[in-house]
Amino acid sequence: MNFTSPIVIAEIMCLIGAVIFLRNDKSIFWKLNIAYLLLALLTEAAGSYMSSKRENNLWLFNSFVFFEISFIFIGIWHCLKNYLIPKPIIYVGLGIVYSIYFGFIAKDSIMVFNSTAVTVMSVVFSLYCLYYYYLLLNDEKFIEIKYHSEFWWITGVLFYYFGGTVCNLLSDVFDVRFGKSLTLRYAITIALNFILYSVWTYSYLCRAKQQKLQS
Amino acid sequence: MQSETTKIAILVVLATLIFLLMPVFLIMYIRSYNRHKKNHILEKQHMQQQFEAEMLQARIEVQDNTMQAIATELHDNVGQLLSLTTLTLNSINLDHSDKATVKIENSLSLVNKSIKELRELAKLLHGEQIVENGLGNALQQEINWLEKTGSYELQVSNQLHNLQENSPDKDLIILRLLQEIINNIIKHANATSISFNAYYEDKKLYLNVEENGVGFNYEKAKANKAGLGLSSISKRIEMINGKLALNSIPNKGTNILIEIPYP
Repeated sequence: MNFTSPIVIAEIMCLIGAVIFLRNDKSIFWKLNIAYLLLALLTEAAGSYMSSKRENNLWLFNSFVFFEISFIFIGIWHCLKNYLIPKPIIYVGLGIVYSIYFGFIAKDSIMVFNSTAVTVMSVVFSLYCLYYYYLLLNDEKFIEIKYHSEFWWITGVLFYYFGGTVCNLLSDVFDVRFGKSLTLRYAITIALNFILYSVWTYSYLCRAKQQKLQS
Repeated sequence: MQSETTKIAILVVLATLIFLLMPVFLIMYIRSYNRHKKNHILEKQHMQQQFEAEMLQARIEVQDNTMQAIATELHDNVGQLLSLTTLTLNSINLDHSDKATVKIENSLSLVNKSIKELRELAKLLHGEQIVENGLGNALQQEINWLEKTGSYELQVSNQLHNLQENSPDKDLIILRLLQEIINNIIKHANATSISFNAYYEDKKLYLNVEENGVGFNYEKAKANKAGLGLSSISKRIEMINGKLALNSIPNKGTNILIEIPYP
C-alpha cells in the first residue's frame, strides 16, 4: 500500500505546523485551516493509494476541488474584510467558479479531471490576491508585513495558483515524462505544493506570534 | 520529436518560474512601499507631536503674556488708585466736615474706578478662554490693551467679529502671533502710529499690522534667529500653512501681512 508522495509529506509538515501554532486560536478561519489541511492530506493519501492500485482517482480530486474553492474563498473573505465588506465580490467569484465547476461535471461527469474549473479558479484566486495587495497598499494604516499572518496566507495562495497557471493552461498540450510515473506537470505541482505549504506554515507561525502578543 | 518535447518542457518550466518570480517581485515592491509608508506615518506623527508641543508653548506664552499684563495693571493702575485712596482717607479731618465730605466722595470715586479696573482685569484672567469667544474678540481685546497705554495712535479695522468659521488651535496661534508682533513693536519699533487690519476672504484669514517705527533690516534679522522673535513668528505661521510678507524700511516703519488658510 502506497499512501505517501512528496505532496503528502509537505501536507503532513504543514498540518503539524498548523496544529502546533493554531490549536489555541479562537478565530474560526484559522481553526478551519487545520480541518482543511487534514482533508487535503486524506485526499492526497487516498489519491496516491488509488493511483498505486491503478484505480481512477479523479473523482476524488474533483470532489476535493469543491472544498478547496470554498476554503480559499473563506480565506480571501477573512483577509479582505479588514479593508471592505467582501460579500458582493466574493459571491460574484464564488458564483463564477462554482457555475463552471458544476457545469463541467454535468457535461463530462466527475470521473474526468475538471481542468477548466481548476484553471478558472486559479485565475480568479490570483486576481483576488492581487486585489488584496492593492487594498493593503492603499490602506492608510501601516502593517508590519514581515509578521502579518493574513499577508503570508494570501501570498501562499498567490504563489500556488498563479504559479500553477501555466501548467493549467498548457496541461493539454504537453505530456513530458521524467521516468515511469513522474510527469513534468506533477513535478511542478510538487514544487508548488512545497511553496504553498511552507508559506502557509510561516503564516501560522506569524499568527501564533500575533496571538501571543495580544494575550 | 524528442527535442520538440524538451523544448516544450523548458518553455513550461521557464514560464512557471517567471510566474513564480512575479509574486516575489510583488512582495519586494510591497515591502519597499510599506517601508515608505511607515516612514511617512512616523514623519506625520513627529509633525503632530511638534504641532502639539508648539500649541502648548503658545498656550503658555499667552498665559504668560496675560499674567504680565495683569501684573503691570495691578502695579501701575489699581495699585496707584488704592494708594491714592488710602492717602485721601488718611488726610480726612473730621473737624472740617465740608472738606471731609469732598475727600470721602473722591475716595469713593477712586474705589469705584479700582473696581472697574479689577473687572477689566478679571476678563483678562480668562486667558485661554479669550479665543473661545471668537478670534475677532480675542484680537480686539489685545488691541484694547494696547490702546489703554495711550502711547500709540491706533487705526483698527477688525472684520473678524462675526466670523462664522472657527479653528481653536489656529485661533490660539494667531492670537499669539499678534501678541508677539505687538510685543516687538513695543520693545523695538519706537512707533507712534499703528494700524491693524484683520479680515477673512476666500477661506483665508488676513492680518495686516503696519507701524511707523524705526524699521529694521529684515534679512539681517532673519539670520539672527535669537532676535526680535521673528523666527518664532515665521515658524508658527509655517506650522499652520500660512504665509508671511514682511516689508520694513529703516526709519519709515514696518508692514507685516499674514495670510492663513482658515479654518
